[in-house]
Amino acid sequence: MDVSQYLEIFLDESKEHLQNLSDQLMILEQEPDNMDTINEIFRAAHSLKGMAGTMGFKRMQALTHEMENVFSEVRNNTIKVQDNMVDILFQCLDALEEYVDSIQNTTEEGENDNDHLVKSLQGILNGEKAGATPAKAEKTASAPVAASNKEKWREIKIGDTEVNVIKAALAQGKNVLGITVYVQESCILKAARAFLVFKALEELGEIIVSIPPVQDIEDEKFDLDFSLIFLTDSSAEKVATAITNVSEIQEALVSNFDLETAKIKENEQAEKEAETTKPAVVAKESSAETSVATQKQEAKKPAVSKPVVNRTVRVDIEKLDSLMNLVSELIIAKNSLVAASNTEGTRTAASEHIEYLESVTTNLHESVMKVRMVPIESVVVKFPKMIRDLSKKLDKKMQLFMSGEETELDRTVVDEIGDPLMHLLRNSADHGLESSEVRVQRGKPETGSIFLNAYQEGNNVVIEVGDDGNGIDVEAVKSKAISRGTITAEQAEGMSDKEIIDLLFLPSFSTAQKVSDVSGRGVGLDVVKSKIESLSGEVEVKTKLGEGSTFIIRLPLTLAIIQALMVVIGNEKYAIALGTIQTIEDIAPEEIKFVQAKEVINLRGTVIPLIRLNKVLDIESTQSSDENLIVVIVKKGDKMAGLVVDELMGQQEIVIKSLSKYVNKCKLISGATILGDGEIALILDTNTLI
Amino acid sequence: MEELKVAYNTTQFIVVKLNDEQYGIDIKYIDNIIRMQQIYRVPKVQNYIKGVINLRGEVIPVINVRLKMGFEEVENTKATRIIIVKLEGNDAVGLLVDEVKEVVTLEESQIDKVSYDKKEEKANFVPAVGKDKGELISLLDLNVLLAEKENS
Repeated sequence: MDVSQYLEIFLDESKEHLQNLSDQLMILEQEPDNMDTINEIFRAAHSLKGMAGTMGFKRMQALTHEMENVFSEVRNNTIKVQDNMVDILFQCLDALEEYVDSIQNTTEEGENDNDHLVKSLQGILNGEKAGATPAKAEKTASAPVAASNKEKWREIKIGDTEVNVIKAALAQGKNVLGITVYVQESCILKAARAFLVFKALEELGEIIVSIPPVQDIEDEKFDLDFSLIFLTDSSAEKVATAITNVSEIQEALVSNFDLETAKIKENEQAEKEAETTKPAVVAKESSAETSVATQKQEAKKPAVSKPVVNRTVRVDIEKLDSLMNLVSELIIAKNSLVAASNTEGTRTAASEHIEYLESVTTNLHESVMKVRMVPIESVVVKFPKMIRDLSKKLDKKMQLFMSGEETELDRTVVDEIGDPLMHLLRNSADHGLESSEVRVQRGKPETGSIFLNAYQEGNNVVIEVGDDGNGIDVEAVKSKAISRGTITAEQAEGMSDKEIIDLLFLPSFSTAQKVSDVSGRGVGLDVVKSKIESLSGEVEVKTKLGEGSTFIIRLPLTLAIIQALMVVIGNEKYAIALGTIQTIEDIAPEEIKFVQAKEVINLRGTVIPLIRLNKVLDIESTQSSDENLIVVIVKKGDKMAGLVVDELMGQQEIVIKSLSKYVNKCKLISGATILGDGEIALILDTNTLI
Repeated sequence: MEELKVAYNTTQFIVVKLNDEQYGIDIKYIDNIIRMQQIYRVPKVQNYIKGVINLRGEVIPVINVRLKMGFEEVENTKATRIIIVKLEGNDAVGLLVDEVKEVVTLEESQIDKVSYDKKEEKANFVPAVGKDKGELISLLDLNVLLAEKENS
């Protein structure tokens, strides 16, 4: 069966439902009587079941089916939610996630039947159901009421060719059937359902007319129903059963097609009497599906109180990228206009247009950026469940507090940020928090707190991950570092606590498994750091022994276009990201002091090392040594440095172009940009200089 | 039929001059040939990377093929050209050559594979030699030439 084209949608939707399920289960654990939550879980399980069924993932379908059964009883108040039940449901969730992962990787759901889960669910169902009376007696009652005007196939207009085909078929003794299929209102993959119906029908006979046309149905251009005229050797009942075997089909109306009463295009007058003949209505549904369908209808009413979900549009990131590129071009064009107007005398007229152009491009840039922005929520929602699992696994009591989930970041950054955050949270849970006994001894609340706060700060987004645990033991890290030969004892003497903690980010340090025993930190922190830095961000640690530690991640809002200060060194132009610049200072040569044979300046009480960019970049400076120096003070976390440049050109919005992979050895340069006059300026990565 | 057969077995090469030798570059890789223009130096990179150029809004690195192949660097002349090539799945890159001479069409029979001595660096770049009008053209394998293999 070719349903592969729906696989992507299936995966997307399944993940959404799983996430929803996970969220609701978390709530359910706290409030076992919350009816909204129970309804929501039921709906999620039901949708998952239907989708899995369509795609032919039998094991997944079976498991969700049992979950749905359990919740349908919970909804009817015949079963009470209990702790062990929530645990089993969480296990089911993990199993479902496994299926989905496996489907994503291999397009197969895998071999694991998860029998024990199915059994446990059935156990819940049977154990508690004893006293429950059959609550679904009225199930078949509602179906065939308004049947005749629902038989939309009677509206099908047929032409001469169809009439001939039908006559021929009748002559051969075949049945000619009119069919109207209703898809459930809640059905998500309508086209897929329709496809399956067609598939089922094609095995039994031949479809001659379809309203709307097959192509439209495949493109999902239909409401909830479609009508067919069908030639078959089978009986109407058999056909109806075949159709209703496809899940999420509300009902199928099948009856004999009568040429006399049919609407033939030429004589449309003969239509009305069609209403009077009462055909044999077949609305049989396979038993499991019926109960689902009726329950589904019941579920419709309470569904009104469902919380409003964010309406989102999924946009292909490639389209956005091309839009982004166009804007980039526009900015370059603007820059050249600016350059032209500065050189020529005729300024006044042009400058107005330029100002306008500038405001347009800035707005365009902003709105495009906004399209690319997504809340970090999509990443952090899975963390509460993760902490819950860790809490059980590590046997520590802990709670996760999150704030600022709505903070937005560039899509590409959000996609990448999940792993590092997870790493840090795990670190906090595993190594940061003490065991419950120790916590009580130390007079802390028994339940440890882990927090994740996100907020915007200027052009950056800050994400803090921390705990109220033990904090980092600097001495332990120091002795470990010395024993591992990372630093010598003499070096250790001269190092500040901060420098020692920074050692944790060294790759050599974190790969050692024993480190976590001693320091309680250092599992994969280098990975976290390199990931964050590849996103042009930075990581910082604040810790206090006995009180906890906090990892602070700073990320730029956008990656493609930045504000930069243009500087000249020798005869080359360079750009320095404005975000890193603190101040620009004019320094007389005699103010330069030497510390450990390195040039430093004392700027308002702070000693700042000087970096002569012309030396770092191998350029002849145009400045003579007795002139005042222009020093750009840049900052990275708590550290500062003064970059000596020859000339300042001014501030500019620049489009970052990556240097091709053929140019790979220069860490100082993070990219290049094209200036208004077509010149290329390289972008300095000040982080590597400090 | 005759023409069809020919089309299958011939390859077109652009003949360039490097250090007074003739080299052929398969035309399918070539995006563009441009005159010398301002090259912006990139500090602290491989010595054979001359820098980057601005080609219609794109930043493209330029490789001095002479240096990459182990020849002496020479002053640019009027004849100096930058050949923009694009290997499959890669970014565009510029190759600085002394001169672009002509396009030749070589049949398979005119191309001889070179059995090279592994000790000699340069031979890696030239897996085959073409013969045209009594002259020899070393056919460059760009995939080898541009592969990241530090030899300086």
